[in-house]
Amino acid sequence: MVEPIRELVTITVDGREITAPEGQMLHDAAKSGDVEIPVFCYEPKLGEPVGACRMCLVEIEGIPKLQTSCSTPIRDGMVVHTKTDQVKEAQNAVVEFLLVNHPLDCPVCDKGGECPLQDISMGWGPGKSRFTDVKRHFQKPIELSPLIALDRERCILCYRCVRFSQEVAEDEQLQLLERGDRTFVGTFDDRPYDDPYHGNVIELCPVGALTTYTYRFRARPWDIEDAGSVCTLCSSQCNVKFSIRDEEVLRVLARDNEDVDDGWLCDKGRFGFQSFGSEDRITQPMLRGGDGELSPISWDDALSRVTKALKSSGEKTAVLAGGGTSNEEGWLLGRVLREGLAGNAIDSGAHPADAGAVRGLSNPALTARMRDIDHAGAVLVLGADPRNEMPICDLRIRKGVRRNGVRLAVATDSPTALDRRAHAVGRYLPGAAAGFISQLAGEIRSEGSSSGPDAEAVAALATELRGAEDVVVVWGEELWSEPRAISALMDLATVLGIEGTETSGLIEIPTEANGRGLREVGCLPGASAGLAEAPAGPGVSEFCEKLRDGSLETILLADSDPVRTHPDGEGWKQALGNAFVIAISSFETPSASLANLVIPAENFSEKEGTITHPEGRLQRVRRNVPPPDGLLPTWNFLAAVATELGVDCGFSDQPGLFTAMTSSNGLYQGITEEDLAGQGVRWQDREGAAGRVPAGGATPQMAAPTSAPGSAGAPDSIRLGTRRDLWAAEVAERSPALEFLVPMQSLEISIPDAERLGLKQGQAVEVSAGDGASVEAKVAIREAMIPGAAFLICGARDGNGNLLTGAVPGSRTIRIEVATPVGQTENT
Amino acid sequence: MPPTKTKTEKTTETRILFRNIDEPGLSKISTYKRLGGYKSLVKAYTEMTPEDLLAELEASDLRGRGGAGFSMGKKASFLPRGDMDKYLCCNADESEPGTFKDRELMQKNPHQLIEGMVIAARAAGANRCFIYIRGEYVLQADTLDRAVAEAYEAGYLGEDVCGTGEQVELVVHRGAGAYICGEETALLDSLEGKRGNPRLKPPFPAVEGLYGGPTLINNVETLSNLPHIVASGAEWFRSFGTEQSPGTKVVSVSGDVAKPGNYEIELGVPVRGIIDDLAGGASGKAKLKCFFPGGSSSPVLTVEEGMDLPYSFEAMADAGSMLGSGSIIVCDEETSVVELALRVARFYHHESCGKCTPCREGTNWTVKMLERLSHGEATPIDLETIVSVQGNITGNCLCVLGDSMAAPVSALVAKYRPEFDQAISMGGVNGHATAGNGHGGDALPDVAWPLGAGSAG
Ligand SMILES: Cc1cc2nc3c(=O)[nH]c(=O)nc-3n(C[C@H](O)[C@H](O)[C@H](O)COP(=O)(O)O)c2cc1C
Ligand code: SF4
Ligand code: SF4
Ligand code: SF4
Ligand code: FES
Repeated sequence: MVEPIRELVTITVDGREITAPEGQMLHDAAKSGDVEIPVFCYEPKLGEPVGACRMCLVEIEGIPKLQTSCSTPIRDGMVVHTKTDQVKEAQNAVVEFLLVNHPLDCPVCDKGGECPLQDISMGWGPGKSRFTDVKRHFQKPIELSPLIALDRERCILCYRCVRFSQEVAEDEQLQLLERGDRTFVGTFDDRPYDDPYHGNVIELCPVGALTTYTYRFRARPWDIEDAGSVCTLCSSQCNVKFSIRDEEVLRVLARDNEDVDDGWLCDKGRFGFQSFGSEDRITQPMLRGGDGELSPISWDDALSRVTKALKSSGEKTAVLAGGGTSNEEGWLLGRVLREGLAGNAIDSGAHPADAGAVRGLSNPALTARMRDIDHAGAVLVLGADPRNEMPICDLRIRKGVRRNGVRLAVATDSPTALDRRAHAVGRYLPGAAAGFISQLAGEIRSEGSSSGPDAEAVAALATELRGAEDVVVVWGEELWSEPRAISALMDLATVLGIEGTETSGLIEIPTEANGRGLREVGCLPGASAGLAEAPAGPGVSEFCEKLRDGSLETILLADSDPVRTHPDGEGWKQALGNAFVIAISSFETPSASLANLVIPAENFSEKEGTITHPEGRLQRVRRNVPPPDGLLPTWNFLAAVATELGVDCGFSDQPGLFTAMTSSNGLYQGITEEDLAGQGVRWQDREGAAGRVPAGGATPQMAAPTSAPGSAGAPDSIRLGTRRDLWAAEVAERSPALEFLVPMQSLEISIPDAERLGLKQGQAVEVSAGDGASVEAKVAIREAMIPGAAFLICGARDGNGNLLTGAVPGSRTIRIEVATPVGQTENT
Repeated sequence: MPPTKTKTEKTTETRILFRNIDEPGLSKISTYKRLGGYKSLVKAYTEMTPEDLLAELEASDLRGRGGAGFSMGKKASFLPRGDMDKYLCCNADESEPGTFKDRELMQKNPHQLIEGMVIAARAAGANRCFIYIRGEYVLQADTLDRAVAEAYEAGYLGEDVCGTGEQVELVVHRGAGAYICGEETALLDSLEGKRGNPRLKPPFPAVEGLYGGPTLINNVETLSNLPHIVASGAEWFRSFGTEQSPGTKVVSVSGDVAKPGNYEIELGVPVRGIIDDLAGGASGKAKLKCFFPGGSSSPVLTVEEGMDLPYSFEAMADAGSMLGSGSIIVCDEETSVVELALRVARFYHHESCGKCTPCREGTNWTVKMLERLSHGEATPIDLETIVSVQGNITGNCLCVLGDSMAAPVSALVAKYRPEFDQAISMGGVNGHATAGNGHGGDALPDVAWPLGAGSAG
């Protein structure tokens, strides 16, 4: 199903000829010819127009009544008037009507100065109101959620927020209650609006009815400056716009980039800026003293200590990059290690990717664009929960399913937020992805070949995928933890004929925001910049072992927190405890708290650099506010380290660095900063892309898993898996507005297992696995769960699930004991 | 047997839909069949192809009886052919003030409607049918439920209609009491379990209606005509009524008349005949003043303007009003036009769904101004504003409800301006029209329209 291409037609608007695609809404066609028609309810991002506000009425020759231009598709030869007396009368009328019940409390309204109602009232209204009766009153404002205030008096009932809730986020919580002029926006039973995307309604609201507590009464539009950057809190890499006052970020807004984010942000990206100014932020280089406390040191001191440590461990140094580490920083890290120290232990991400397989998967013909999801015949979500790992991708998939009839297949170990919208759902045990994917590929190849317990689910998934014209496979980095899963994935891609069609492909959801970019600039064992062949080296999961046994001595962590976010947190704790640790970090994270030296990092409002979106799009992160006093840009510090180690950097400023980074990278070569302007650029969309990926084996050559998944435990045992939670993240804990969202650890378990073990919803339990480590959790019994498995949140602040996983995810079974509350005896 | 048709000086009823209306037990399938019922259904399914049927309906020129008067056959022909779920919805939300014809048709002759629906389903290729009935019609919904069960039992509904292998399912769905759910697209949303708000058109329901599928929506009375057209043919049907308004019409007459009720007349008979001969003329001593020819949303016609017009779609339209749902509300000289306008405005304000701005705010504003006017708290400027606000609503709304207030209020002000001026200058209408019929004074009934109800005969 390819996006339909529409013929161009010519219409006349106010005497001006405009050429636009047939069927485009008249409002948009007029806009493309510089004719502005005022609108309130129209917002194409929300789906079909609703025609509610009536602000956009225009005259179309041949039709006696005025028509809403937001919902009238253009036809060739249409003659339209937007400025006749009849139209003006209607516009005046609608503005006057809208103000009948509007309080006009602009002086105390946050929207003032950037309010479409103000602007349209001035531009298209009668300038005065004849209404002399009493306006409607509500208590104002009320708390719609802990983040959003709702002023019902200001609401003009444009339906935007409600449509967002129902048709974009599909949480269906916002409703219009009552009717007529008594209508108001609310939720069922006045419950708080609880949805990880709900901040978007603030931007959608054309008046000051929906405002956020984090920005209320902080600034007027003329006090602030807008500045663009890219959110680096997850791999969605949404384009953002900061509102800055006095060199401080006060607000984050979406900067629509249809290729990337469709104009939406998640609440983490929208409110996480609060962590920028956190009191706990590390803003100076820090040295851990004998007492175990960090104390500030000078940058010179830091530079010499870091250099000394690296020199002394030499090739026994490991580098682990993650988070929002930029391509430039990643590239410098690679040079520091490979050229400066002759080392080869460098990786990024949480799971061990194989350079050969990465090269194979980087074939441009195999990569999908985010846009391809919109009109795909089918989307397969494999081993990932987009809602929690790449939230904007979740919205994108919903859009395709809702508006364009995309068929959705989900195959994961734990339940996903998309299950409810999926046409077929398959579940496999943690660590058993490889077998499941192979079976699926086999079933697609020869119908009915599946047998065994998964046969039915596999057949249902295959039915959705087999005949589909283009398939987009959205898969999670976790699959790398099962080497055979990657070869199965390649096989699946072949069966689906993905390479042959322009609009199908794979998209990997990395665990780190710049996961793709970091690999492509050389933070990958066996591959340097541009995925070029490099001496083989250990990968992320081996670092852990080698740091423990001393074959690696020092590790440099760049915005990476393996103790918290990587499998085998317990192992990482020991590893970091046993090594010299240099952490580039903004906070004393669980990993940084084991570091000997901490180098303060910039965030995405302060950093200059590029990152690469999972679809291969290079995007520019820009400095909009100065970093805290004296904080050296990370690239600067790394370049200094490189120089100390005798690496010839050959650049002296950021633009120079960008050029050096791209010109040494076969994939990025020739991309200029101008190319990145605004929307970024996919390296695969540039000339000769196919030839840019170095050859180097499309089949993964990887070590066999240390223990064979599938063989773990007795028949009644429960295998442990982990899942990600959007809010189990440092940034949520460091942003006062988001803190209430930080999840408690919960153990997701199937109904039959819960029944068998006598567990009740919400019950406190102690979960243990492996060599005795245990975490506390609340029982969460879920329907769409596979029996025989249970899941803990990986990355939780308290009782992190990764403490129990061991090195190979899915390889361990757990023991569950009901926690006995103090002063009570357990009677089971 | 075609009904007897008598034309005398005095207007009489012409009963087709109401032919056996007072037969005891007509709501039972046995009685209905004894009187010849379900023969048309069998004929339509065994002797006619869907194409024949559609052609016959189009040829009959049957116009919708729910308000807009659109050709029933033509609307059915807009549904795409092809193998997909298609829907037929019977609009039984009957909530327009002054309209109570569907109530009697459903209560007394439910099988006529069911037979009509199964026939319409064949013509339109629909396999899933709904009767959306207003929630307050409890008795009628219960009656329909029983009748539907009987029709299933008898094989006129279900997987195999009359042994032809055709499937037609029918569900009676009760609304929750909103007038707006009679608007066809709001009806669909409500039926789907959503808030009953009108949808933007196009797409029209014939193309994208219930659950996104092609949907035919017709009024109870419209569909009740079908068994008769199939039985006796389009030509026979067109022998009643006028060229542009063929057939008969069940007219609900209410207000200040001696014998309010439902009367089935041939379209084109004089209005005077309906009001005087059938409904017994004025109920009190006062002379008649004006009437709404097609429910409360139609602009009033004064007695001078309207009494001698033929009662047809075209004549009412030519007179600047409309036949609408075919409900005549009669007002005598004791009626305060100001109170009447307020009463109309209050109804539409109360029922506005609130989706679009002009109707939501315009109805509210109009009520506030008319309230002040009737209390003597208005100025001449307010009257100007009232007129202008009606103009600002007209034609600018998403559905017709907004216009349904603006049109009658505008007509009342235009035709009886001195009464409005007087209310302003004399401090309200108190004392002017409190006597007699209960239309005036402060104690306005809040919800119930002062209607005569029940049938004649
Ligand atoms: C506000 C509003 C209320 C309506 N209420 C009814 C109703 O109660 N019953 C009805 O049959 N049609 C009603 N209609 C008309 C329907 O929208 C639609 O035109 C009709 O059901 C079509 O059937 P017909 O072609 O058989 O008349 C209403 C229209 C509007 C705008
Ligand atoms: S709260 Fe804002 S977005 Fe929502 S309906 Fe009201 S005006 Fe529109
Ligand atoms: S989805 Fe990811 S990139 Fe987008 S705003 Fe949220 S955290 Fe930032
Ligand atoms: S005209 Fe009135 S009833 Fe119709 S959509 Fe608009 S607000 Fe709703
Ligand atoms: S913008 Fe067209 S009706 Fe609201």
